[in-house]
Amino acid sequence: MPKTLLIIPAYNEEENILNTCNKIKEFSNEIDFVVINDGSKDNTLKILQENNLNHINLINNLGIGGAVQTGYKYAYQNGYDIAIQFDGDGQHDVNYVPNICTPIIEGQANMVIGTRYLDKSASEFQSTFMRRFGSNIISLFIKVCTHKRITDPTSGFRAVDKNIIEEFAKEYPTEYPEPESTVCMLCKNYKIKEVPVSMNERQGGTSSIRFWKSADYMIKVVLAIIIDSINLKKKGRK
Amino acid sequence: MQLSLRIALIVITVLYIFVVLRAIKNKKLQVSFSVFWIITGLILIVAIAIPNSIENISKMLGFEVSVNMIFCIAIFLSFYLVFNLNILISKENRKNTLLIQEISILKKKVEELEKKQGEIK
Repeated sequence: MPKTLLIIPAYNEEENILNTCNKIKEFSNEIDFVVINDGSKDNTLKILQENNLNHINLINNLGIGGAVQTGYKYAYQNGYDIAIQFDGDGQHDVNYVPNICTPIIEGQANMVIGTRYLDKSASEFQSTFMRRFGSNIISLFIKVCTHKRITDPTSGFRAVDKNIIEEFAKEYPTEYPEPESTVCMLCKNYKIKEVPVSMNERQGGTSSIRFWKSADYMIKVVLAIIIDSINLKKKGRK
Repeated sequence: MQLSLRIALIVITVLYIFVVLRAIKNKKLQVSFSVFWIITGLILIVAIAIPNSIENISKMLGFEVSVNMIFCIAIFLSFYLVFNLNILISKENRKNTLLIQEISILKKKVEELEKKQGEIK
């Protein structure tokens, strides 16, 4: 079994974080996890300390991208072979961790994305129409820019191998992390595979992408994707 | 322009330059940023002091009304400044993120080491 780390970004997750960590512990002792407390204003830090859960406490709020990158830096410094991004709000199911790791262990992919949309029966929670619509548009632009199809580019459930851990530790798009990092890795010719997973509905807290912010988010993500792909293609030619 | 107005404007501009210089002295403003403000102040003083200078320049450049030239320059300069500030903020954001990440990881390591030391004792 390769050294595996679950990176769990948490912002104001006092209701879910203990539950999530306990489920991981129940599932397997071989998987390490690190909770990145992103300057939560509630009791998240207290819960982490009292229950002696492995955590890094960010001294200031960074946003999801900066928090996740901290996890990748930690994984890089501690020599992990596989790092898995895992939400602290109970959306992701720890039982899918082996599924998501297998392609990396077998050398089929450098990065595996857990996708909600691949298998309709696999997921009870298919998310809202608007969210799917948004995902489709981002997918389309990724396809145009990189000629590869990613069905669920905004999925936060993903595993990466040692090479990509190093890449992410050095440089991680902190503004729109999921879609942008996917594009960057595609442009650098890493292999990305998608694996169907099922996600639960959020057990509490609010999604970081709110409805009224969606349009703004979409425009910026698409712009970021285009710029990233142009940037990296130029570098590739040199 | 009447002489009294001219003198009043020059006095205000000199005061403005004085404020900029004092900000540098009190370390509120970096010298590299102050150059822009001092130069604009000096240009303003020259423009006010020489009679008809602004009218002549704007005619030479083809502006129908000299006020248009002033607005044009002012808007361009403000855009330039705001854009530069945006770039600066983005840069600082990146540095800030790096600092927070590294310090937080270091803090974790220190805490772990302290715990280990406590156990040994």
